[in-house]
Amino acid sequence: MSLCNTRLQEERKQWRKDHPFGFYAKPVKDSDGSLNLKIWNAGIPGKATTLWQDAVYPINITFPDEYPSKPPKVKFPAGFYHPNVYPSGTICLSILNEEQDWRPAITLKQIVLGVQELLDSPNPDSPAQEPAWKAFSKDRSLYEKKVREQAKKYANADSS
Amino acid sequence: MAKDTYLKKVLGSERYNRIRSSKVLMVGAGGIGCELLKDLVLTGYGQIHIVDLDTITLSNLNRQFLFRKTDIDKSKSLTVANAVQSFNYLNSNLIPHHGNIMDGNQFPIQWWSQFDFIFNALDNLEARRHVNKMCLFLKRPLMESGTTGFEGQIQPIFPYHSECFDCQAKETPKTFPVCTIRSTPSSPVHCITWAKEFLFYQLFDEADSTELNSADKIAGETDDKDQQENLAKEANELIELRNSIISKDKDVFFTELVFKIFKTDIERLLLIDTLWKSRQKPNPLQFSEYESELDNLIADDKNTSILTDDTKVWTILEDLYVLRKSGESLQKRINSGDESSISFDKDDEDTLNFVVASANLRSSIFHIETKSKFDIKQIAGNIIPAIATTNAIISGFSCLSGSDYFKVDAKKIGTDFSSFMNHSRTVYISIRPNKYITSALLSEPNEKCASSSLLSRGVLRISKSDVKAQTLGWLVNTLIDTYDYEEEGLSISLGQSRLIYDVDFDDNLGTKLIDINGFKDGELLFIQDDNDELENLELYITITGEGTLTTLPEFKLRPKKEFAEEDEEDYSMEEVDGNRDTIIIDDEEEKAIDDIVIEEPALKKRKVVE
Repeated sequence: MSLCNTRLQEERKQWRKDHPFGFYAKPVKDSDGSLNLKIWNAGIPGKATTLWQDAVYPINITFPDEYPSKPPKVKFPAGFYHPNVYPSGTICLSILNEEQDWRPAITLKQIVLGVQELLDSPNPDSPAQEPAWKAFSKDRSLYEKKVREQAKKYANADSS
Repeated sequence: MAKDTYLKKVLGSERYNRIRSSKVLMVGAGGIGCELLKDLVLTGYGQIHIVDLDTITLSNLNRQFLFRKTDIDKSKSLTVANAVQSFNYLNSNLIPHHGNIMDGNQFPIQWWSQFDFIFNALDNLEARRHVNKMCLFLKRPLMESGTTGFEGQIQPIFPYHSECFDCQAKETPKTFPVCTIRSTPSSPVHCITWAKEFLFYQLFDEADSTELNSADKIAGETDDKDQQENLAKEANELIELRNSIISKDKDVFFTELVFKIFKTDIERLLLIDTLWKSRQKPNPLQFSEYESELDNLIADDKNTSILTDDTKVWTILEDLYVLRKSGESLQKRINSGDESSISFDKDDEDTLNFVVASANLRSSIFHIETKSKFDIKQIAGNIIPAIATTNAIISGFSCLSGSDYFKVDAKKIGTDFSSFMNHSRTVYISIRPNKYITSALLSEPNEKCASSSLLSRGVLRISKSDVKAQTLGWLVNTLIDTYDYEEEGLSISLGQSRLIYDVDFDDNLGTKLIDINGFKDGELLFIQDDNDELENLELYITITGEGTLTTLPEFKLRPKKEFAEEDEEDYSMEEVDGNRDTIIIDDEEEKAIDDIVIEEPALKKRKVVE
């Protein structure tokens, strides 16, 4: 438990001091006025020159008590259109999977960069939702249209 | 002959006298606790405090020998204290406390400071970590112990001299990624987890449909028709099924359940063909093949004996029968109005049967081995086998090794425990031939341990008047003045991962300490240096009387340790089984227990796996 707290406070400090351009990440504010280091809201900008550009996609990051032995859970809003995102918004990404590539040394910065990378390079072998996966593998123009629509929706995302 | 003649001879009269006048704490009065208390009482400890929050249940009685059937539902700590009176020949003073050891109100740091030595007899990580932390705060020696089945260990902990409980990462219960559970199970435990945590939970447990509802909401927001429909479908099917528990007849509910869960959902998965490129495709359940046979089974009441055949691996037909029967009971219970929801409980036959049958049906669909109800109960109920003999042996070691501490005069050594590093040992027992008992000298604290090495800790004694009158800003400045942080150069969290201040989060600076939620006796403040020059600081809050002087622990913070990037990656589970030299005892040589623990030369070296 103490390791979890120590590490999260450290992650917050490192993020404040230095984080990649266009991203934001902040622990949520509890009703008692403190910041809950176990639940963060973050924004992932789509990479320039991709379908995802000009938008910031919100994610929610939840850290378990056993962090950093166990990875955090990362979620887009429910219904997010992406082949590797579950209908609930949960992301299927190997670095967030305890049985695959998660290591305790992976930082918040690496996680959000990993999610950004995933946006435009979906993994067709690990489908998590039907609509986006089907369109991506069988009807590319429909897929691109949907992704652009979604980008428009998040174009003016609040990045405070 | 006096009752203590032999004890004096064995322990030496100096050690024995110290033990007689000592005050010790035993945390936990369960499997190990019962055995250990017997040992401690017969060793003659002067005063023994016992803490446990639990009450006695039937399943305790096979090994917790101080309890009787008439004790069921009574407090464990109070009951053990009474039970040992019948052989309390040396008149140990027994003081039981019924409560949670982590409760800072009932057990504040001042209470802890009365003990010379602490024995753990716990069964969970959280409480162990708490006791470990209190012992680190007070620099009190701690004897840690634990058993699983035939395996067990003791670990003496001498704060800041030997490894503490947190120095080695502990294995925590495995969690499985959603992807595996929902789409691509590959082992029985995946299907059991699915049956218990997903299917059963969604159908019968307290309706936490927030996730489903939020999917609904989003669907309302998006302007894409297809997506909307698909989402609504996914979200609503389970809700519909849940509703049909109440609104529909048992036959209809069962049929809908079987069709949706074991056919439609599987067929939907099959549509995603890339999932099955390198995996064997699941076979949706063809219910029609079983329907008439199932009807025959149901028609004959004698067949209810299937439900209690715990060690047989049921056939698909039998699984369907059990699913039908248990589903019916659960449906009846919900509809009777007595229970609005039902939680999974391994000892609730209906819930267990439902989970076993649905886990097995899913397993057979995915070509995974099916299991007996007995086996699934172990897995679904997280049952860890507990064996009285293992507990007795480990308690013996705990008591024996704990008495080592009283060989020396505590007043002389104070908190300098270095002399114990040469002979105190951690002991492991196991059932493996030639490795029944192994032991190892204590290791030094892990230099990357967040509890032992990377911080200083102490008690912040703050007067009631300051808590009322002063603000968080005042506390920040006091910390800066006392420990030489740079102006605004620190961050503070309080209790469980709640950040209350850093330079970019100064909302609370003007807030009075008394108005900061959780700023109270027994809570912990955790302070980090923003410039990464000073080590971390942990302060235990003790609120002292009105008008007393507020004091902070007097020490200088050490420079923060730096580790190369790749080094940091080492602090992971792999370290658990680092190489250590240990003694292995050959069981062919019949040695006395004392010899085993104390004797020096290593016969063989082996890797110790915790």
